[in-house]
Amino acid sequence: MASVELRGLTKRYGDLAVVDDISLRIEHGLLVCLLGPSGCGKTTTLRLIAGFVEPSAGEIAVGDRVVSSVARTLPPEQRNMSMIFQSYALWPHMTVMENVAYGLKLRKLDKALIGQKVRAILATTKLEALAERYPGELSGGQQQRVALARALIVEPETLLLDEPLSNLDANLREEMRFEVRRLHDEYRYTTVYVTHDQSEAMTTADLIAVMNLGKIEQAGSPEEIYDRPRSEFVARFIGSSNILKGKALDADHIDIAGVALRCTGDPLKAGSPTAISVRQHEITLSSAQAAPGAPNAVPATVVRHVFLGNSRDYMVELADGAQLRVVTSAEQSVSHGDKVWLHLPPQRCRVLIG
Amino acid sequence: MPNLSRRKLLQGTTAFAATSVFASPSRAQAPAAEPVTPALIEAAKKEGKVVWYTSVDLPLSEKVGKAFEAKYPGISVRVERSGAERVFQRIGQEYSSKIYAVDVVNSSDAAHMIVWKRDGWLAPYVPEDVAKHYPAEHKDPDGQFASFRVTLSVIAYNTNLVKREDAPKSFADLLDPKWAGKIMKAHPGYSGTILTATYQMSRDLGWEYFEKLAKQRVMQLQSASDPPKKLSLGERAIMADGTEYLVLQQKEAGNPVEPVYATEGTPLIVGPNAIFKNAPNPNAARLFQSFSFSPECQQLIIDVGGMHSAHALSKEKPGRKSLSEIKLMKDDAAAVEKMSEEIKARYTKIFRV
Amino acid sequence: MTLALAAAERRTRFDLSWPILIAFAAILCALIVLPMSWLVYYSFSDKAGGFTLGNFALLVTDPTFTGPLITTVILATSSAIICCVVAAPMGWLVARTDMPLRRTIRALVTASFVTPPFLGAIAWELLAAPNSGLLNQLYRSAIGDPAAEPLFDIYSLGGLIFVISCYTFPYVFVLVANALDRIPGDLEDASSILGGRMWVTARRVTIPLALPAVLAGALVAFLQAMTLFGSPAILALPAGFHTMTTKIWSLFQYPPKPELAAAASLPLLVLTVMLLRAEHMILGRRGYALVGGRQSDPRLVKLGPWKWVALAAAFLVLMNPVFLPYGALLNAAFSRVASQLVSFSNITLHNINFVFFELSATKLAFQNTFILGFLSATIGTLIAVVISYITARKAISGWRALAFLATAPVAVPGIVLGVGLFLSYTRPPFVLYGTLWILLIAFVTIALPAAYQQLQSAFRSVSVDLEEASRILGATRLQALAHITAPLLRTSVIATWCFIFVGVIRELSAAIMLFTSETKVISVLIFDLNESGDLGAIAVLGLIMLIVTFAVVIAVNRVPGFGGGVRLRNT
Repeated sequence: MASVELRGLTKRYGDLAVVDDISLRIEHGLLVCLLGPSGCGKTTTLRLIAGFVEPSAGEIAVGDRVVSSVARTLPPEQRNMSMIFQSYALWPHMTVMENVAYGLKLRKLDKALIGQKVRAILATTKLEALAERYPGELSGGQQQRVALARALIVEPETLLLDEPLSNLDANLREEMRFEVRRLHDEYRYTTVYVTHDQSEAMTTADLIAVMNLGKIEQAGSPEEIYDRPRSEFVARFIGSSNILKGKALDADHIDIAGVALRCTGDPLKAGSPTAISVRQHEITLSSAQAAPGAPNAVPATVVRHVFLGNSRDYMVELADGAQLRVVTSAEQSVSHGDKVWLHLPPQRCRVLIG
Repeated sequence: MPNLSRRKLLQGTTAFAATSVFASPSRAQAPAAEPVTPALIEAAKKEGKVVWYTSVDLPLSEKVGKAFEAKYPGISVRVERSGAERVFQRIGQEYSSKIYAVDVVNSSDAAHMIVWKRDGWLAPYVPEDVAKHYPAEHKDPDGQFASFRVTLSVIAYNTNLVKREDAPKSFADLLDPKWAGKIMKAHPGYSGTILTATYQMSRDLGWEYFEKLAKQRVMQLQSASDPPKKLSLGERAIMADGTEYLVLQQKEAGNPVEPVYATEGTPLIVGPNAIFKNAPNPNAARLFQSFSFSPECQQLIIDVGGMHSAHALSKEKPGRKSLSEIKLMKDDAAAVEKMSEEIKARYTKIFRV
Repeated sequence: MTLALAAAERRTRFDLSWPILIAFAAILCALIVLPMSWLVYYSFSDKAGGFTLGNFALLVTDPTFTGPLITTVILATSSAIICCVVAAPMGWLVARTDMPLRRTIRALVTASFVTPPFLGAIAWELLAAPNSGLLNQLYRSAIGDPAAEPLFDIYSLGGLIFVISCYTFPYVFVLVANALDRIPGDLEDASSILGGRMWVTARRVTIPLALPAVLAGALVAFLQAMTLFGSPAILALPAGFHTMTTKIWSLFQYPPKPELAAAASLPLLVLTVMLLRAEHMILGRRGYALVGGRQSDPRLVKLGPWKWVALAAAFLVLMNPVFLPYGALLNAAFSRVASQLVSFSNITLHNINFVFFELSATKLAFQNTFILGFLSATIGTLIAVVISYITARKAISGWRALAFLATAPVAVPGIVLGVGLFLSYTRPPFVLYGTLWILLIAFVTIALPAAYQQLQSAFRSVSVDLEEASRILGATRLQALAHITAPLLRTSVIATWCFIFVGVIRELSAAIMLFTSETKVISVLIFDLNESGDLGAIAVLGLIMLIVTFAVVIAVNRVPGFGGGVRLRNT
């Protein structure tokens, strides 16, 4: 077992760089999520790691072995990896049992051993009763588990998952997130997990790499990504953030709608245009006017208001026309058109770069 | 080249001398007659088959083949039957691609022999019967071919559809408006019989005759074998041309057809047989050629086939009109050879197919 | 170890794709580019081989060429219209109404689909020759006037149009019925919910949705009628006119005029290309784009008592391509006189005896046909499999060129291909004339586009993921193909093989240009026999042909998961 390292990995189709100079080191046994919107290059990155695609530049190393480079690419079958496809890619002409046993048969294990391993994995994935069924006779969740079992049984060095839960309905998806994590904790393969769903990434990953336009915008632990987004893109994509733009006044103040907001993060340069992010539920909203001179208090007007049962979702407008969304407790009711005061806690106003 | 003797080489050089089918009188140096020897039969059996390209109607030509197979077991005959003009085109096409598939050929257009002889494609071979029993005008002086069959292109009518007294007596009668839409005929682009007949009629009656005939809404068939068959089915009341032997066959089978020997004369069709030099089965070809001219085979094509024969010992079948009773048009293969292309072109222009 | 692996990988990467591309491009060039190049070259050559436009000048001025051209256009247009008028309502009845026996009707249309058109033409000679035709005889005895004008005259332009339509309407039918099958019921439900009654819905929604298929069907029918050789050769010549295909064929009679034949072939080629483009545009637009998506069962229009009327009408239509001709052939096979109904007095086994024991060409023709059918089907399927794999998986650069070459023959009418192949392979360096190879090339070429399209869509239905899932678990490319792709494609491959085989059995238009005595096939033998009027023998051979064809078609339909829609070419 080994780590996976991407070094300056690039894939171009014509002039378009789908994967653009990515470097990332995944330590052995970690579960890494490549997170990003569709078209960000995450699936191509995964397929580069699998060996289905040859890089245009850079290389991929597994342990100390270079498996992909411009000069040579080890074919997928020689990488000792496993992959779970978005479509599950279960072979319709084979039963569940045959699907699962396929990888072991290729490895020419003896029959008894194969039978034993298959039974074990089918038990782990709760598929024993379905062993003789064909994929066409299974539900989505069952198919998903077959795909998992088929991938895990070969005990790969590296496990690749391409949007494995996107075809499941909401309830099942939530359940399977924990299942994936549970199985990972059980087997501890180095795992690369591609998804566009941030909560999926949050629940499963040790490390999240947020991708955009073929580049990694930010890589870090879920907490790091959530609490300290480094770019507007990450801030918007992870959690529900408001982005406010203004001019820096000094190292830690920014001018928003005529109010000097104190914020945290890298020191600012006075006079330069700057953006900060504040999450929707971190803003407090009150109809009472804030004490004069109270820090980070901004006047606003309610332009939309939705009751969500356990919370309320407000859209407010600042003096300069910028709109913010604020989530409050269900008790706090303000009518449409009312003037309100917002409090943006300085430690939650995070300065974004770029 | 085990089969090529010095004598044959010599004959080959003389092959170009003749210019017309049987035009020149018999010459002294015609190759000697060849009897059917056990050695020939043996060699033929080794080859095991013979391919006969012919325009003789298929059931009859297959009967000839079966008769040969019965006499010489172990040698199968493959009959390749098509209209004589097709056969001619096919052989030309095959030879220009160096495909030598044909052993023996029979054509109802004797002019083809002139062309093949001129091109040096034919092998001289004179079966004993031809030497002994065939008149000079029915054999090539250089021994390259002889008349396998003599046939006529006749008018005929369906006796169910036309009363005997109303039946046409002459080619001119066919132009009567009452026959409009009731006549069928075969095509000189396909049939050697019809090409030969068309030549003789255009010579004796003029092309105007065909121009007038074309106005009669004629049903155009391909093979000279087809009009007699369609006539007996009653598809049309009259056939303006078509081969006599099938009319006789149909009549004798009890079908309602009756030939008419036109007062202007009936076109005479001579159908020679020849062996090709590049025949893939040369010995079987000779054996077959000898068999073709044997009294046995000649009597078969007369009795069963309804043809005529140039064999001196053959007997006409009683009840049929003998050749001597029929006013014939004169055949002239050399002229047909010269005009063949023009005849086809002119015919196509007049009949539009 | 890394080095060795690298070398192995390099080898598979370079050694496979280029040789494959070159080899298959070469095969496809031999099949299609070379013949078409010679065709164009000849059409601009005079007898001596110099450049000339004279052939084309003759083509547009000589009435023996302009006549057939006009006839062909009239023929094709009329057939297309008749086909649409007949086939579109039938397609609708079968796909969208509660008419009984819908499956039977579909099966019968398939029967007319696979019937060789030239055989149909001969059968209709037996039925509707103006005097000896069975139907005309019946009519005359029914009205008691033996001299009455015939009811039908098959030897006429009208007769030819009728017979061609009989065997062309299935193309329109299949297109329309398939399009209607795929229109989801939701669309009609949506109309009903807005208050549209059944008939209004049919008129406003169903018919407009099916219209592109009808139009495309009309174009296909036009193409088929235009490029057909057998039926006009059998029916038009007795009637005293030529179509373009029979004219081209007649130019090979002695003395052959290949230059003129080449020039006369080009208009057919150009027209075909144009019509196919038009078809592509019609079908490529909204037509089928909207009918994808999730299927909901089509709603059947309830015809009430009218359904029996509809059924009767459908059977009446199918009398013409199926029941009557098959009956006539069966009758002719066992009757002493082809145009008389079999009775105790004239029943005979003579024809069967003649075909099997006297006709010396039978054995060779059957042997050639089956060898060619087997080889063409095998080789054609193989080429189609490889090319569709390459193009469906975009496995090598240059796959687009292969895809184009594999589809191109669809634009070449059989007789034009025959002329092209004849010109290409009767001369050095490739003298294939006289061998089965040239026929093999012709048949493979003719079959390739349909085989390719069918297999390509089959490949597309097998997701790449399935192969990759196998690779990542340790299978090599070949193992993945063997374990995963091959079993999944098996049914499509078998179906493709069978349809090429059936297509070869019925092919006449290219074979008629390319056969020699040693390489005669059954279709040509039948054509030859027709010229000398041996109808009984034709009936026997034709029935055997039909039996073999149906055996194969039924075998294909037994293969699970295969749904028709394969386009056979007319001959």
